[in-house]
Amino acid sequence: MTNPHPVTVEVVRNAVVAYADEMANVLAKSAYNMMIYEVRDYCCGLLDANAQMISQNRGGLPIFLADLGPAVEDGIQRYGLDGFVPGDVMIMNHGGVCGQHLNNVVVYAPCFHDGKIAGFAATRAHWVDIGGVRQGFGSSATTDIFGEGLQLRSLKIYEAGKRNETLWQILKDNIRFPEASLGDLRAQVAACSIGIRRYGELLSRYGRQTVEDCVAVVWDQAEAAARRVVEQIPDGEYVAESFLDNDGRNLDQRLRVKVKVTVSGARMTVDFSEMQKQVISPLNSGKSGGIAAARVAFKAVTSPGLDVNEGCFRPLDVILPEGTMLSAQPPAALGLWSIALPTVIDTILKALAPAIPTRIPAAHKGDMGGCSFFGFRPDGSRFLLMNIFGGGWGGRPDEDGESASVSICQGDVRNTPVELQEIKYPFIIEEHGLRPDSGGAGRYRGGLGVVLTYRCLQKCRANINLERLTEPPWGLHGGQAGAINVAIITHADGEQRSVRKETEIDLGPGDRVSFFTAGGGGYGDPKLRRKEDLQTDLAEGFVTREGLADYNESTGAQV
Amino acid sequence: MNIAGTDIGGTFTDLVGCIDGKIVTSKTSTVPADPAEGVVETLRIAGCSMPSMGEVLHGCTIAINTVLERKGARTALLTTRGFRDIYSIGRGNRIEAFNLFFHRPKPLTERSLTFEIPERIDARGNVLTPLDGAAVEALIPELRDRGVGAIAICLLHAYANPAHEKRAGAILRKALPDAFITLSHEILREYREYERTSTTVLNAYVGPRVKTYLRRLADRLEREKFRGKIQIMRSNGGVMSVGLAATQPVAMMESGPVAGMIAAGRLARDLFLDRCIGFDMGGTTAKTTLITGGIPAIEEGYVIGGAASGQPMQLPVVDIVEVGAGGGSIAWIDADKGLHVGPQSAGADPGPACYGKGNDQPVVTDANLLLGRINPRRFLNGDMQLDVGLSERAIASKIAAPLGLAVHDAALGILRIADAAMSLAVRAVSVNKGVDPRDTVMIAFGGGGPLHASAIAREIFVPTVVIPKLPGTFSALGMLMAVWRQDFVRTLVGRLGALDAATVNAVFAELSAAAEEQLTREGISRSGAELTFHADLRYLGQEHAIPVPVTGAQLMTGDVSRLRAMFHDEHAKRYSQSAPDESMECVSVRLVVTAARRERERVVELWMNEPWQPEAEFEESRRRVVFADAAHPVEARVLWRPSLKSGMVVNGPAVIEEPNATTLLHPGDAATISAAGHIIIRIG
Repeated sequence: MTNPHPVTVEVVRNAVVAYADEMANVLAKSAYNMMIYEVRDYCCGLLDANAQMISQNRGGLPIFLADLGPAVEDGIQRYGLDGFVPGDVMIMNHGGVCGQHLNNVVVYAPCFHDGKIAGFAATRAHWVDIGGVRQGFGSSATTDIFGEGLQLRSLKIYEAGKRNETLWQILKDNIRFPEASLGDLRAQVAACSIGIRRYGELLSRYGRQTVEDCVAVVWDQAEAAARRVVEQIPDGEYVAESFLDNDGRNLDQRLRVKVKVTVSGARMTVDFSEMQKQVISPLNSGKSGGIAAARVAFKAVTSPGLDVNEGCFRPLDVILPEGTMLSAQPPAALGLWSIALPTVIDTILKALAPAIPTRIPAAHKGDMGGCSFFGFRPDGSRFLLMNIFGGGWGGRPDEDGESASVSICQGDVRNTPVELQEIKYPFIIEEHGLRPDSGGAGRYRGGLGVVLTYRCLQKCRANINLERLTEPPWGLHGGQAGAINVAIITHADGEQRSVRKETEIDLGPGDRVSFFTAGGGGYGDPKLRRKEDLQTDLAEGFVTREGLADYNESTGAQV
Repeated sequence: MNIAGTDIGGTFTDLVGCIDGKIVTSKTSTVPADPAEGVVETLRIAGCSMPSMGEVLHGCTIAINTVLERKGARTALLTTRGFRDIYSIGRGNRIEAFNLFFHRPKPLTERSLTFEIPERIDARGNVLTPLDGAAVEALIPELRDRGVGAIAICLLHAYANPAHEKRAGAILRKALPDAFITLSHEILREYREYERTSTTVLNAYVGPRVKTYLRRLADRLEREKFRGKIQIMRSNGGVMSVGLAATQPVAMMESGPVAGMIAAGRLARDLFLDRCIGFDMGGTTAKTTLITGGIPAIEEGYVIGGAASGQPMQLPVVDIVEVGAGGGSIAWIDADKGLHVGPQSAGADPGPACYGKGNDQPVVTDANLLLGRINPRRFLNGDMQLDVGLSERAIASKIAAPLGLAVHDAALGILRIADAAMSLAVRAVSVNKGVDPRDTVMIAFGGGGPLHASAIAREIFVPTVVIPKLPGTFSALGMLMAVWRQDFVRTLVGRLGALDAATVNAVFAELSAAAEEQLTREGISRSGAELTFHADLRYLGQEHAIPVPVTGAQLMTGDVSRLRAMFHDEHAKRYSQSAPDESMECVSVRLVVTAARRERERVVELWMNEPWQPEAEFEESRRRVVFADAAHPVEARVLWRPSLKSGMVVNGPAVIEEPNATTLLHPGDAATISAAGHIIIRIG
């Protein structure tokens, strides 16, 4: 490799990310389902001919970090690099390879330059439905992948520009919202075609060798930035453990999340050897889930401000034996694959907290925060309401945690506006507010969770899957835990009950479902919280008089 | 009629006037403590006799700075019961996805000043729970006691039925006549409660300060015996009366930067250019906008103060993409030897290294100077002498040495990085909108635009660049051409082809009535106004709608095939695909009302197009300029723009200098001086 001119490097660095952003713009603006256009559950990127990540769109989901590569790699193995022609578009969601729920469909297309394959443009987007026995955000009832929908393993949905009508028809006849999902598929194909066109222009402009040399330099620079941070972390083995509530079937059996982080010089190893074994329910993810969790934690600690590419993760090793909950073997069910990941990431951060106490906040809400309601309107049309909501983030070394924010796995993911939900679906939302006293007490308080109450206007069903009820978001350095997640159903007749993980809950007109999302853990001893901060908490209603009990030891009854 | 446009910037207050049919310009230092003083001063310098002035147009950054500096009024917020925290919860998203220490937008109101009102309206506008007027009245003592200066009222689904907001507003306006009260439906009639609340709060928050400022400006001008109208530039590229600005100050957030794009649009129309890219490069940033058929692209809202933790503002705004690359942008090297330019700027003080005011960080202007692209003796009309040696020293020590490059290589690198960043911005406003830059013309202005335009055009294959007359004060000129403009919108959701004619007619009638009411208030005759309707359409199931122009309600209720075809085309253009078999849905109807100021426009138009009168001949010289190869500077012609005759052709490499700008022609470029004196460059 020759050393490319630093200026060309800079041009290429910015251009490849701008192309991924342009792909994302096309996808989001022409998509058909709320999970893409409103919630932004997707990622777009460019990969080289070895399926290594050149760039990924800004914003979007952190947890989609590891996983475009393996999907594309599978296609390369199947067809060989010679097996692609211009105009091919691949579709891929295979559980055993992608390791996540089948709704996350990867669509990618090869980019040709001078008659040779030079890379791929790829998108992953959450389809509103992919068939199977469940709807919306996962049921906890499936026990293998076959009940969870269609598996599409590296299939050509377009061959040399011609649509594969057989495959198209199979998709159309086997999913619940074919117009929406096939509309999303069209949007994904359009995004890929933009990506390969732009990348092709770049290759023509500077030459393939120069562009690839530049990409190599960008990767080296990203690696160097990460190494420099790891070097500052004292060498050692750091272990932490936490628990998930249950696998959704046996509600009283906790699942252990144990990680060992080893720092040695400029390398970090995340070891999942003692992780919970794979479970019969759909809380598993494939290997990419474990790798992505380690990568998110690593990126957040080392270079949160830099764009994502393959180089960022070179100083990171992940030990992930087969058959754990994060590396489940087929035909494991994967429907709720992401539920465990915020806790896994938080546990990695917890392990590092003693080593770098000023750079790790207390635990955040720890779940993915979603709900789904579905049914048929009086005119017979099917509806599916999905929403994502935030909770509290942990107190920080020098300030309170943020409130009402989506999890660490979800970046630019957004809640759905109340007005939009009421326009589209038969519900009245009665409350959407902050949840006072939910932030863990500490010198720096945890952020607050939210309260969200739906009232059903007609018969429907809901899936609810709460996590982290047995282990609330922990505090650090003397801070207290945040409040746990709670969901309560109040039937029209006044009967009330709480829900942990349940599938297809029957609801009728007048029934209410209330979510109380978790708060962040506190940071530092609550006794050290400044009096004026407590006064503000009280005046603004973040902490109530009753909630003051957590602090009162030092401040007395009078604040 | 004599008119003047005044643009208050961070450093200078600029004026372009049209006095007795002649264009005059002036410039003075901005007076931060009393900006109105600067306006009066520019008018004085330009020799504008106040009693003879018919109109003063004004653009300023006071509204946006009030937000950015958080210096607005103590603001209370009234919400529907159960939704006190809509504003602080926002959308829950974290744009900086990996940042454990991210910050969400910080509300401009206190939670303890946010009050829930018992009331509820549903998505169709039906009242579920009547407004509890007594609950509103009960708030009055607390609002008074706590010194609330502004109140925002945003109730759920008020876009569909504003009755409750109106009633709550009436109660509070009566009891608290001095408070600045904003009702969400008066600002924005669209769903999405967070964005609407944020826009409403922004209006209330900046209201008292902007109102005071505008009153002071009016008083100050009146004292100078000014008897004409004051018009305020608004973010959508139009102007509004000073009276409307005082009630809807949120509409003037981007009052400063839009005017230049208006001027570029007008020039595009005069030159019969269908697709243009307006490009404005100043001292700190470069701004760019797509201009189609002479109209700058409009975006339905943006985020003030950065996407990650800024305040959403959901009113139409000229879609300006801004990058931190300007003449004063500092070049620097990160720990991994990556070379960057901006976003930090040396500004005007201390300014570039070559100013000799103690800055040793090289900036873009230093690189231009070292490479011979600008003239050290003619900078800012010769008022500022530049020291090439200082530029060279700064670039050598901060960039060249650490990277192991020759100093001229490093300087060229700085310019190429700045050009690349600006190219990406230009790409964002063109290709992201489905426009191929090869089909566009770039109109470049601002202090640095003419200098960098050719390189940027080359980078993204724009074939033609136009450098207008007076590129350095083009923004203030733009104000003279802005039309009065007001936007209205009503929600109208339904499947195209199945819309109820009566409902559609009612929406159009309601929009027209709102427009006429506003025109009457502003004293504009109905015949002088132009009404343009757009339907926001999408495929059934999609969320993002695309506005498609409609001439009237009948297009949406009778045979909808034409409207369908228009939408398919627009969708294909933007997203490179369409779905002709699918059902389509309407989301809302928009109305844009414009009223041209024909007399004023005519004078400026005349000036823009009148035959160019060159000054006396000026002897051309030559100097060595670095273009593509730092090791081999090229001998280039150096010309004085005011002396160039129309029809003259100048081939690059060449430098064309004028009082406040320098146009650079790269080898292969061919420039022609148009009949009106604009420079038209064919990129080589």
